[in-house]
Amino acid sequence: MLPHLDRKLWRDLRHMKGQVFAVALVMACGLTMLIMARSLIFSLESTQEQYYRAHHFAEVFAYLKRAPNSVLEQVRQIPGAGTVQSGLSAQVTLDIPGLDEPASGNVRSMPDYGEPELNRLYLRKGRWLQPGGRREVLVGEAFANANQLQPGDQIAMLLHGRRQQFRIAGIVLSPEFVFESRPGAALPDNRTYGIFWMPYEELAYAFDLYGAFNFLSLTLEPGASERTLMAALDNLLRPYGGRGSYGRPDHPSHIRVSDEITVLRVLAFAFPLVFLSIGAFMTNAVLSRLLALQREQIAILKAFGFLNRQIVTHYLKFALVMVSLGTILGSVGGVVLGRRLVQIYHNFFRFPTLEFQLDRSALLWALGVSAGAATLGVFNSVRRAATLPPAEAMRPEPPANYRPALVERTGIAHLFSHTFRIAVRNIERKPVQALLTIIGLALATGILIVPTCIREGLGAVLGIKWDLNSRQDVTVGLVEPSSARAQHALGQLPGVWSVEPTRTAVARIRFGHRHRQIGIQGVIEGGLHIRIVEENQREIPLPKNGIVLSSKLADVMGARFGDELTVEFLEGRRLVRNVPLLGLHDDFAGVTAHMEIDALNRLLGEGDVITGATLSVDQARRGDFLRALKGIPSVAWVVIKESIRENFGKTTAASINVIQSIYLTCASIVAFGVVYNNARISLAERSRELATLRVIGFSQREVGAVVVTELVILALIAVPIGLAFGTVLATTLITQVSTETVRLPLVLSPANYAFAVSVVVVASTLSGLFVLRRLNQLNLVGALKAPE
Amino acid sequence: MVFMEATHIPAGTSVPRERVFCVRKLSKTYGSGSTTVHALAGVDLDLFSGELIVLLGPSGGGKTTLLNNLGGLDTPTSGELYYRDLDLTSADESELTRYRRNAVGFVFQFYNLIPSLTARENVGLITEIARDPMPPEEALEMVNLGARLDHFPAQLSGGEQQRVAIARAIAKRPQVLLCDEPTGALDVRTGIVVLEAIDRINRDLGTLTVVITHNAVMADMADRVVHFSDGRVQQVRENSFRVAPQTLKW
Repeated sequence: MLPHLDRKLWRDLRHMKGQVFAVALVMACGLTMLIMARSLIFSLESTQEQYYRAHHFAEVFAYLKRAPNSVLEQVRQIPGAGTVQSGLSAQVTLDIPGLDEPASGNVRSMPDYGEPELNRLYLRKGRWLQPGGRREVLVGEAFANANQLQPGDQIAMLLHGRRQQFRIAGIVLSPEFVFESRPGAALPDNRTYGIFWMPYEELAYAFDLYGAFNFLSLTLEPGASERTLMAALDNLLRPYGGRGSYGRPDHPSHIRVSDEITVLRVLAFAFPLVFLSIGAFMTNAVLSRLLALQREQIAILKAFGFLNRQIVTHYLKFALVMVSLGTILGSVGGVVLGRRLVQIYHNFFRFPTLEFQLDRSALLWALGVSAGAATLGVFNSVRRAATLPPAEAMRPEPPANYRPALVERTGIAHLFSHTFRIAVRNIERKPVQALLTIIGLALATGILIVPTCIREGLGAVLGIKWDLNSRQDVTVGLVEPSSARAQHALGQLPGVWSVEPTRTAVARIRFGHRHRQIGIQGVIEGGLHIRIVEENQREIPLPKNGIVLSSKLADVMGARFGDELTVEFLEGRRLVRNVPLLGLHDDFAGVTAHMEIDALNRLLGEGDVITGATLSVDQARRGDFLRALKGIPSVAWVVIKESIRENFGKTTAASINVIQSIYLTCASIVAFGVVYNNARISLAERSRELATLRVIGFSQREVGAVVVTELVILALIAVPIGLAFGTVLATTLITQVSTETVRLPLVLSPANYAFAVSVVVVASTLSGLFVLRRLNQLNLVGALKAPE
Repeated sequence: MVFMEATHIPAGTSVPRERVFCVRKLSKTYGSGSTTVHALAGVDLDLFSGELIVLLGPSGGGKTTLLNNLGGLDTPTSGELYYRDLDLTSADESELTRYRRNAVGFVFQFYNLIPSLTARENVGLITEIARDPMPPEEALEMVNLGARLDHFPAQLSGGEQQRVAIARAIAKRPQVLLCDEPTGALDVRTGIVVLEAIDRINRDLGTLTVVITHNAVMADMADRVVHFSDGRVQQVRENSFRVAPQTLKW
């Protein structure tokens, strides 16, 4: 049988169920975030680690022009080198049935016999390539899904300018392409870019590379230094057109997963902290109220001989019930949302299995943290009540002391109505309760700023990128460096309005001891497509003899306008040149280096060479244009702006929507809960006062106004603070995510602020109305009988 | 005949007084089945303007229930209850609010002041909503509190708080002043000061005043004394003259 004290606990809880639930919900928000984020980190990290281990993901990677297989022996001799796997990697254009636009891809070789030693594939569907079989490929899952390709389907590829039909043997995943995207592309477009694998022999013959390799991956011996090994490898591969090796931390697919984990870590810390603090404050408020009401009961319990310890425990149990309820709700929420987000991750990350895995330690953490917060929140008031001598506790609490509020003492008191005075004096007399309400509402307002800010920042980036910096509709890359003739051919395609040539050269840019490997893009001066802008989006002309870097890249390298940079070309004659930095490009996705195309060609010691082009196309003839483009063998890859934009809407924008709705829910719960709690407490504490007002002739509406005035004053104070807090929070987060891969401009629109304010206002109003319904049930007669 | 006595017009009154309340067969029950409580069991009573009525009886006898019904805080289960032409038994919530706002002044045992407002503001609260109020200062002057206008309830003694409550009740110039054990929480000396205030209001403003008490001594200050128990009027006694409150002793 339940001890009597516990029965009292249950009845008290039932009596205050609304408030208990409100506190539990706010805590649940924090715990949901905590459990969700930690479980996602756990899921991603453990899945990634298992996948990498089981599929022998390499640790060092290097691309080169071509080297004979005999060089591999020298690679193996490098101190610290473990397993070495060589292969071929080639760009191809594709003709996918049902796809209007030309797609491109990366074809990689598979050993003719046996499994590769590193970067082993996972077969999702179909079968492996048959030894000695021909005209068969394996396709990466992201591309296959986006184009609804199944094993047995046929696709056409242009291998080194020759069109060939291939049959899809199987659909696979690779640890190298967890994030399947065109190299250097900020946004993935899985419909028009895919990864393929075919037997070494077939690929090598097609590209005239038999007996050679152009891609290398290695593992490190235990204890070996990655830096030393990479330096030795670069030296060895330089004569063979080596483009510089890189480790896992710079691996494009690996970076994306790591970035996601970094974001989750912020989520797993900052937001639960905010919510749990509010939860703890609310627990404190609810319990303080209960303790004030039960002062006499505590005295009687003590008079009967209950120990202080028993009394403290009794009330702590009250807090712990709220915490447990919060933990249960939070766990359910965390698991449900976690599963939902894992579904979204499937759009971006390709793992053999990416299951939501509950981080059980997060559950313990959640329980511990929230119990700790709640205990901390109530311990003092509980202890104060318990240590009161019984005789003193049995006397009712002395009447509340009031004085004119600060604002009234400024001499404008005569302007205030009595209702307003009651409200401001109440606020001043209970500053802590008022402060907590303000903090709660401010936090709710603030956290709403963040997702909209990110969404609008992304919108601005894309707007700047697509409508201002890169105004072409289509970008193409050629199979081989070519002359102006290729440009002319592209210009003849149906619907083309204008063509501008581009020249890309891979180089290592060095300044001081810092260096970065990057493709320098040569574009024409005064072109309509690619435009270089500095801060405030003002277009700047391309210098005749200098280089323009992304301001972020210059920043990272410590270079300033006018500094002399060393450019080591990693292709052609591998010349090393000094070039002045004569412009800073204020872009947002990735880092870039631009030069005037003729200047770049001069620097490379080459003539009138182009490697690609940008085109603007009549949208009415888009279909004709794309079909014609498909037939040009010299085109290696194609990027279509519309296609990326559409894909972005389906993936990134959709996931931001989910995240925004999570924030929205949490903010609404906090606003609702905080107002509900405040109004309930104020209603309970002042039932006598409010009943008196009713008795002496105030209408329900007028009495409601007394309570509402107070809330409105608090909200008016809270909202600007919340907007300021949100601005700081958003600024901090945006600054934190400013990396070399993605930077967001800080966009804080009036609409964003208005949205945050309206959500909080609506949630608070609903909550207030919900509580005010209780005014109807106010017992006029009972409240007047005796003081509480 | 209870009814006859109750409707008897006080002696010594030259002008026939106006009937303010008309109560017939009024009953009020709480609960149902075996737990039914008959708080009022058929009350018949008429109250006239300018009278000071003391409602005397043991606790639990239904005095407060009657007062609450007269004041529009509660509605009866059956019977008739008229305030002048207003049928209080069928009045809706907003009519009752308007009635309380304009016609009735309440004084309670525990004062029920708004702790966050000063004496002047507690009274001023009413003058904000009433039709033809007197200035708060005047109302407080009538209860001899002209010197403590800007004190908060916590800074006033019990007797002073009760006088603020009276000032609050009369500031709207009510037709009816209903006092439920106004001295119940006070000692004799301060109790008498409060009764003096009530007496003066009744005489000066001619407000129909109903005072509930279980203290029989106070009966002497009334025009009529209504003995009330078991939910009905047991007897109505008329005093030939009213004793001044300061001579009362208990």
